[in-house]
Amino acid sequence: MPDGNKKLDAKARYSAGVLEYKKMGYWEPDYQPKETDVIALFRITPQEGVDPVEAAAAVAGESSTATWTVVWTDRLTACEKYRAKAYRVDPTPNNPNEYFAYIAYELDLFEPGSIANLTASIIGNVFGFKPLKALRLEDMRMPVAYVKTFQGPATGIVVERERLNCYGRPLLGATVKPKLGLSGRNYGRVVYEALKGGLDFTKDDENINSQPFMHWRDRFLYCMEAVNRASAATGEVKGTYLNVTAGTMEEMYKRAEFAKELGSVIVMIDLVIGYTAIQSMAKWARDNDMILHLHRAGHGTYTRQKSHGVSFRVIAKWMRLAGVDHIHAGTVVGKLEGDPSTTKGFYDILREEYNEVALENGVFFDQDWASLNKVMPVASGGIHAGQMHQLVHYLGEDVVLQFGGGTIGHPQGIEAGATANRVALEAMVYARNAGRDYLAEGPTILAEAARTCTPLKQALDVWKGVTFDYASTDAPDFVPTTSVS
Amino acid sequence: MEKELEETKPNSKLAQVNLKEEFESSGVDQILSELDDTLIGLKPVKTRIRETASLLLVDKAREKMGLMTESPTLHMSFSGNPGTGKTTVALKIADLLFRLGYVRKGHLVTVTRDDLVGQYIGHTAPKTKEVLKKAMGGVLFIDEAYYLYRPENERDYGQEAIEILLQVMENNRDDLVVVLAGYKDRMDKFFESNPGFRSRIAHHINFPDYSNDELLEIGEIMISDMNYKLNEKSREAFAEYIKLRRKQPHFANARSIRNAIDRIRLRQANRVFKTSKGPINSDVLSIIDEVDVRKSRVFSGGIDS
Amino acid sequence: MRITQGTFSFLPDFTDQQIHEQVQYCIDNGWAVSIEYTDDPHPRNTYWEMWGHPMFDNPDAAAVVFELNECRKVYGSYYIRIIAFDSSPGWESIRLSFIVNRPSKEPGFRLNRTETKGRNIQYSMSPYSSDNPQGSRYK
Repeated sequence: MPDGNKKLDAKARYSAGVLEYKKMGYWEPDYQPKETDVIALFRITPQEGVDPVEAAAAVAGESSTATWTVVWTDRLTACEKYRAKAYRVDPTPNNPNEYFAYIAYELDLFEPGSIANLTASIIGNVFGFKPLKALRLEDMRMPVAYVKTFQGPATGIVVERERLNCYGRPLLGATVKPKLGLSGRNYGRVVYEALKGGLDFTKDDENINSQPFMHWRDRFLYCMEAVNRASAATGEVKGTYLNVTAGTMEEMYKRAEFAKELGSVIVMIDLVIGYTAIQSMAKWARDNDMILHLHRAGHGTYTRQKSHGVSFRVIAKWMRLAGVDHIHAGTVVGKLEGDPSTTKGFYDILREEYNEVALENGVFFDQDWASLNKVMPVASGGIHAGQMHQLVHYLGEDVVLQFGGGTIGHPQGIEAGATANRVALEAMVYARNAGRDYLAEGPTILAEAARTCTPLKQALDVWKGVTFDYASTDAPDFVPTTSVS
Repeated sequence: MEKELEETKPNSKLAQVNLKEEFESSGVDQILSELDDTLIGLKPVKTRIRETASLLLVDKAREKMGLMTESPTLHMSFSGNPGTGKTTVALKIADLLFRLGYVRKGHLVTVTRDDLVGQYIGHTAPKTKEVLKKAMGGVLFIDEAYYLYRPENERDYGQEAIEILLQVMENNRDDLVVVLAGYKDRMDKFFESNPGFRSRIAHHINFPDYSNDELLEIGEIMISDMNYKLNEKSREAFAEYIKLRRKQPHFANARSIRNAIDRIRLRQANRVFKTSKGPINSDVLSIIDEVDVRKSRVFSGGIDS
Repeated sequence: MRITQGTFSFLPDFTDQQIHEQVQYCIDNGWAVSIEYTDDPHPRNTYWEMWGHPMFDNPDAAAVVFELNECRKVYGSYYIRIIAFDSSPGWESIRLSFIVNRPSKEPGFRLNRTETKGRNIQYSMSPYSSDNPQGSRYK
């Protein structure tokens, strides 16, 4: 280690002035993270001429105890303990200007059970820090001691299935389209047709709240009429995600209470309401036996670019802690961002008991979820029945497959669209269980099923060849030969 | 959709079958040679199994070519004295039938009357069905099967078990193979009074008693499997022991040999413990001495179990 | 109407061979398979009657098909479903559930609405068949 990176003794360390972060104790290459430490992995792009180790130490400092200059009041605290410690800096495999910095945080730096408090440190001021060109939070390891301070998903995958009486296959949903403009009465029609046709859920879009064309009570009332009619028509439990997102917490509670009163099994919120509001709604959902659906509206502003922002896998971890039951997490084959391995990483984080390091999927840490409930991922955006084999293969069984256009855009109408999706799905699960190579034989299996299901035949004809093949902007940086530690 | 799905299955009739290839790829060959290598004696049994295997292999080929319409009856009876290798052979048969594609899992479930027949009214049917369900996909081996039938007691629950067994043997021929086993004479009597069983069993296999030389060979394999050794004198003594033991009541072929070896080991351990002074090597711990054998009651007119 | 609870209700009814395949998949996953029947198909009727215990120790699906046919002999006019339970930690619940027998006629459900204040409507539904007492609902 070059001398310039050495820590100083107390006298030199605390004399007034400006000091390099790495000399202030924010760089500790020999540090062994404790079981109880929160660990963050940042992708840092230092300004030209800035030493990457100093940049990493600065990130550690700015996201924990440091300020730009030395303060003597540090010495009134157990500052050695509270300082975050950058302990490892690796060049990224694919870009010479970017580095992976591993930083460990003492658990006492964080208030138990508060995503707001955690994020105020980890993605607070530090993201505007001048010596860095760009900064991205790639992954975090939450210690079990910290995980246990969170409620976690209000319902969880297992109880959600028990409540819906639906097992053995992905759930099916559709977002009501057009997004905006339908009156309550017309809106309910779409819900009724789609649920009667075979879907389990329909969904409000993220920006359907209470606008002049449709006030929220109107929507809730018509939607519940549709849900109950569809339930009676099929003998199944049905639901529609009633979006309770509103300007204030009080208003959200009010809407959620009304949804409950009407007998809805599920309510919905948007990511943009903020972490604290999400945690409040998760608590409400737990108290009232409601499933809580989260639409990740807005995440693309900070998750999509590889060099700056917060990876969605971190958002997924925060949301599992915060306590939502559903979260949109990508489709692999649809119209929105997401390559297969990165998406697998997200899904594993939401659904597994324990995540092992999987660099190929962008998962940098082992993560023990300590029996926290599992989150049901939701796949939506540009998917259709003809992709069913790929969807089941990439996304597995515990997922909501949401076909908006792929239901409502069916040439024979919404009910036919829903039936096409349900038949395609059941045929695919049947084939998988029967031991067929359903990924390779997917189109054949669908064609077989379509012989006794005209709506499926029509769907396959209309959307044949619709794919979204664009290079992903957020593939994991991973070289298979890099050693894993 | 059922119809469509069936069409995609490879059930089109073949024009040609290569028996030799089938024989090798199925792994039947391997089991038959294992049978030859690991089982001493039992010549007629081995021959019967080889014949049966060929028949089943040809049947499969005929089925593939569309010449067979019904699945063959595979239920068997094994008759012979205790200790003649019936259970061991049943295990091999289960594996054989699995390799040939006649059972789906190839496991062996071994039961006696007590596992099938209940103690009170309404107890027998669920018990028998439970056993049958466990055996499905494999082979059900019913030892001393004749105990199921007790003509002297009209209300014996065994009759209920027999009825269920017969029904399943007939209706679920594709799901399991039943092997009935026991002493030759009693099995013969059992089949005489239960024509239902006789007609449902296609293969009767007789297990002859082992000769003295075969028993000695079996004994030596057991001893070396346990990492013991006979020397010349003790081998001689052991051969004599076999001759004497055979004339005694309750002689059970290989099983009697195993019991004798267990007692010999006990005597050997006692001797080594009493005589040893200071450190001993592995030879002392493994060699069976003449005296360990000759101390048996059998040599002085007593009876061994 | 056709009640579409269960994993495969949108496919044509399964043959015993197809049931066997699906059950074997469950057994091979280490799940216990159970047969249940009812004459009350309300989606909130969680506890259908059990046809014996879940089968924990049967390696081959023929055992389940065998019991299913026994059950059909007695309750052939009822709904019968096959359920697979997974006892692994973090799940300990059902993994697959599908209907394998239905009444010849399925009359469906009546939807009851009770209007209360503020346009609020309270809904309940009941199977038309449950107008008759248990045991005489389907013939």
